[in-house]
Amino acid sequence: MSSDTPSMGASKRASATSGLRNSQTAQPVSPHTPQARSGNPSFASSTSPSSSFRSEDDAIIFEIGARWLRAGFEGSSAPVCVVGFGPEDSRRVGDYRGWIQGSTGAGRLPQPVDMEEWTQAYELWRPDSREVDLGLVEDKIERAFRETYNQFLLTDAGTSRLVLVLPSLMPHPLLSSLLSTLFSRWRFPSVTLLSSATMSATAAGLRSALVVDIGWAETTVTAIYEYREMTTKRTTRLASDGNQDTETVDKISVGFAYCEEVVSRFAWCKSQAEDTCSDEPDRELSIPSPANPEEEYMDVPFSRLAEPAEKVLFAPGVEEHELDDEEKSLPLLVYNTLLSLYPDARGTCMSRIVFVGGGSRIPGLRQRVLKEVSLLIDRYGWSPIRGKALERQRQRLEELRLSARKASSPPETPKSNAEAPSTDDEPADPSKEVPEIDFVEQKLRRQNKDIPVPIQGVLREVESLGPWAGASLTTSLKIRGMVEIEREKFLQHGLAGATRDIDHPVPDRRSGLRSGGDRSSWTLAGWA
Amino acid sequence: MSRPFPYTYISCPCADTPVPDPARKRRSRESPQKSPQKPPPERAETDQDKKLSAKEEQQEEDEDEEQTFDPRSPRSNFSLYPPEQLLYCEECHQIKCPRCITEEIVSWYCPSCLFETPSSMVRSDGNRCGRNCFNCPVCTAPLAVSTIENATGNGPQQGPWVLSCGYCLWTTLDIGIKFDKPTNIRSQLQKMTDSTPPAAHDRSRQASRTFGDLKHPLSSFASADDQSNAREHDGEQAAPKEDPAAPPMGTDARFAALKNFYRTQIAETSNSPNDHLSSEFGFSSPGALNRLMSLYTSSSRLSGLYGGNKKPKSKPPVMREALTASEGLQVALETNETGMIARLQSPECGWDGMASIDQRATQSPDARFVDDLLPLPVLLRTKRAKRCKSCKHILVKPESKPQSTRFRIRLIALSYIPLPTLRPLAPSSSSALPAMAPTSDLNSLPPLRPIHVLLTLKNHMFDPVRITLATPPVTPGHVATKVTVLSPQFEIGANSDVWDEALQGASAPLTSDSRSAALRGVPEAGKVWDKGRNWTTVVLEVVPGTLPGSSAEGGDGNPNTETNDEDVLAVAASKQDEDVLEIPVFVHMDWDADAQLDQQNVGKGSKPDDKVTRELAYWMVLGVGRIQASL
Repeated sequence: MSSDTPSMGASKRASATSGLRNSQTAQPVSPHTPQARSGNPSFASSTSPSSSFRSEDDAIIFEIGARWLRAGFEGSSAPVCVVGFGPEDSRRVGDYRGWIQGSTGAGRLPQPVDMEEWTQAYELWRPDSREVDLGLVEDKIERAFRETYNQFLLTDAGTSRLVLVLPSLMPHPLLSSLLSTLFSRWRFPSVTLLSSATMSATAAGLRSALVVDIGWAETTVTAIYEYREMTTKRTTRLASDGNQDTETVDKISVGFAYCEEVVSRFAWCKSQAEDTCSDEPDRELSIPSPANPEEEYMDVPFSRLAEPAEKVLFAPGVEEHELDDEEKSLPLLVYNTLLSLYPDARGTCMSRIVFVGGGSRIPGLRQRVLKEVSLLIDRYGWSPIRGKALERQRQRLEELRLSARKASSPPETPKSNAEAPSTDDEPADPSKEVPEIDFVEQKLRRQNKDIPVPIQGVLREVESLGPWAGASLTTSLKIRGMVEIEREKFLQHGLAGATRDIDHPVPDRRSGLRSGGDRSSWTLAGWA
Repeated sequence: MSRPFPYTYISCPCADTPVPDPARKRRSRESPQKSPQKPPPERAETDQDKKLSAKEEQQEEDEDEEQTFDPRSPRSNFSLYPPEQLLYCEECHQIKCPRCITEEIVSWYCPSCLFETPSSMVRSDGNRCGRNCFNCPVCTAPLAVSTIENATGNGPQQGPWVLSCGYCLWTTLDIGIKFDKPTNIRSQLQKMTDSTPPAAHDRSRQASRTFGDLKHPLSSFASADDQSNAREHDGEQAAPKEDPAAPPMGTDARFAALKNFYRTQIAETSNSPNDHLSSEFGFSSPGALNRLMSLYTSSSRLSGLYGGNKKPKSKPPVMREALTASEGLQVALETNETGMIARLQSPECGWDGMASIDQRATQSPDARFVDDLLPLPVLLRTKRAKRCKSCKHILVKPESKPQSTRFRIRLIALSYIPLPTLRPLAPSSSSALPAMAPTSDLNSLPPLRPIHVLLTLKNHMFDPVRITLATPPVTPGHVATKVTVLSPQFEIGANSDVWDEALQGASAPLTSDSRSAALRGVPEAGKVWDKGRNWTTVVLEVVPGTLPGSSAEGGDGNPNTETNDEDVLAVAASKQDEDVLEIPVFVHMDWDADAQLDQQNVGKGSKPDDKVTRELAYWMVLGVGRIQASL
């Protein structure tokens, strides 16, 4: 490779500088070869200004969601462009209706339509792949990628590595058609898949996190511990939902674009559920009226604009047992996810909650979720068992204990046996216990005194730069992802060629991301 | 659709070949004979594969039966192109649409100032013009550099400069930015927004500080003056090691900090020479080479040089997470959001104070209010050469100069395929057909009343072409329109010299003229309507169907005739463009071309005089008009 020659020089210099940096941080290390080509795009481009070098060097990162596509180069902090999949983007070439008539969906629809239909034109795919016309998705992806390259990225498509940031739960047919479109349309040498939740954690500077992705069709809560996804729970509460004042039952009569505009501008969220808006007189807010064209603006009380978010994401006034598994309210979902983790991971994750996704832009929403989660924790502790039966049992055990003190009879049922430790001791909740001091831990702590103790066990929200930026970071550090699909191999076998064995490549214990070593087989890792 | 009626679209044949899914192929191949090493089978030779998956079978059938092209399917939107936008590959003898070509960038230029940007500068400029070209963040109109003291005017213009929009009257003064010089605005703006790196995403604020309107630098959201103290306090609590005065970082700064942090972490953790564990695990970035290097350095003089005071560690250092703000950690603060809500509620914000989705799409992700919007440097454009995807033949090669609109090579499809044009046949004076409707308004065609449409195909090749047209008898979709091509097979003359026609016309004036004269008025089956030097016109008889739920539907035997007109309108409008009458036409053309250019190409029936018969087939969509809801 001709491009290796400048990179050697670069690496030497970079090693010197990084050695300096390390000595400044008073943590001496031996000299090392830095990551290939030092990863600094500005430096790289100054040494070799040829475009071929550039396009070889910088991987291009696409983050694909159900509604938006973000694209840009590795090493930059924000994507170059954000492209939506609207009805304007699936018009015929030469069909300029969107510009002639003004964008569709801005005004009032002639007839109320169904929710599904209402949003369909704006989605690339929907999570239920039975309803997805894969061919249409392929067409849309092809056009979106082509136009993104031509309009925004301004490089030749297919020459450089491609990194895709995808949600970790992706239907295989979709993934397959996405990859085969990309590989057959352009000559991408390889496609790397990165999980968006992990990347969000990376972009927050964390190794473990609870990533709450309030997305389009669903909200996913993913617990990540040392870069590995532990559990993912989903709820189908939409982030963007019906407009509040013109919504008839199940039928939506305003244009989608209008509704989205309103939601993105003004949707907000009360910080407290009990806050009954008494603090100040309701301010009237005038928004353009969709209903009657003669009246340009209509007044909506500001507090009403908080209602959709509340209704959709928090489900107030609905008992937990009434909700189906996939429609839990957001705080409950977060709580349940935390609950299902091991205590160690739970403690780490709960102080590293990261909100990403379009819904997290709603002001006040994150605080509200955190508050409600802490309320839940206060109420239930970390015990998954609750309800009337528990209360009764607890009472029974109380009596039992009184009697057991006298005659030491063992608890009858194994179930109550399991209950016994939590109910027997006075602090019923183990999480509220004062942790007893472990001598091993003490010793460990003494050993690495200089390493600060990570914050644990406190609910805390950490801001993330988003999955795209995380992928950009990861890629620019030349860390290779677990899932790297090479062109020839994919074209030969497709998705079926992936190794089923998820644990096949031993992930690096420290970074959690595999170094480029054995490339003979590839895996889908989390996507398998 | 959007184009005025009548219009024509051509479907690129590449739409018929679906994206090959290797997995599907493999599955189908594995089941009958276990030979995954076999090269991908051609579609034609798959008869041996009996157990094809259902989908593939269906596709096969589609191909066998030559499924009618449906212009209404959502997918067809992606394969239909106006004829003038298509290219033609002379090697493959095939129409090429933007989907079946590959593109190579020839040059980058700014569409506003037409300066070419060298390729090395494109990325560093962020794919945007590095000079004075800006677009308005509010309305996307180009911004002009003007001075504030515009009124004083006629002397040498001095003083602070601003960018102002001529359309919506937005100026950079609205966000508090003034420039010292009228040149190099981009770098000035860059300097203003980046001058205080810790808060780069708070760019408008930074700029306003330079303007003198001093807001607190900590307020990341514009109304947050009063919160800055609380914010600072919280920041201190959350990250105790952090300098309390450190402001929250912007996107860029945070990104840089994180990157720095990770790089040092990787360097620290993957470089412990005494770490024998490390060889067992594939260590992160530098890989095997790195391990080798560290093996050497641990024993050689280099260790004395760099790691002299290094204690041997028995435990591999564990990569840790970011802990301080300088490492990129940012703990969310409650005050941000309450401040934002307060600002949302404030009367001066209102609807117009918020940035719309379109405006925000091009801005930094944190921009939420109109005040956060920054002028946008104009996106560069590219001139691209286009190649055929299958044979790499160059189809289009523009001149690289931005000012030039000429092309070195340009193989547009219209010089190879006949140009279709459509027009309604005006009702003849001697109205032989009483049923023929006055076709004055194509936007409201009365249903069930036959109209005649003239389809003219104009040949641009220097060889005469034989054409066969085929249409489905009834158009696909809910509205069943009956279509008949009155003369489906005809010939178009060569695109010879214009003088030829005149000369020929002198010798044999009777043939075409008399015929067309005779035909004019009564379209007759089996005869072309009119014919010229390199064009031929045929008549299509179209009987527009009735819209679903329309009152005129009784004649078709559809049961639901009782629906009223309101319903009709509603149905027609809800299914967008349901009422548009589009006719798919399958065009098959063949002609005898000179074979000397490509002898190796095997023509089907080689003519004695070095002629090769070529054929081309594609679907075309004729947009005739809109069907009226009721009679």
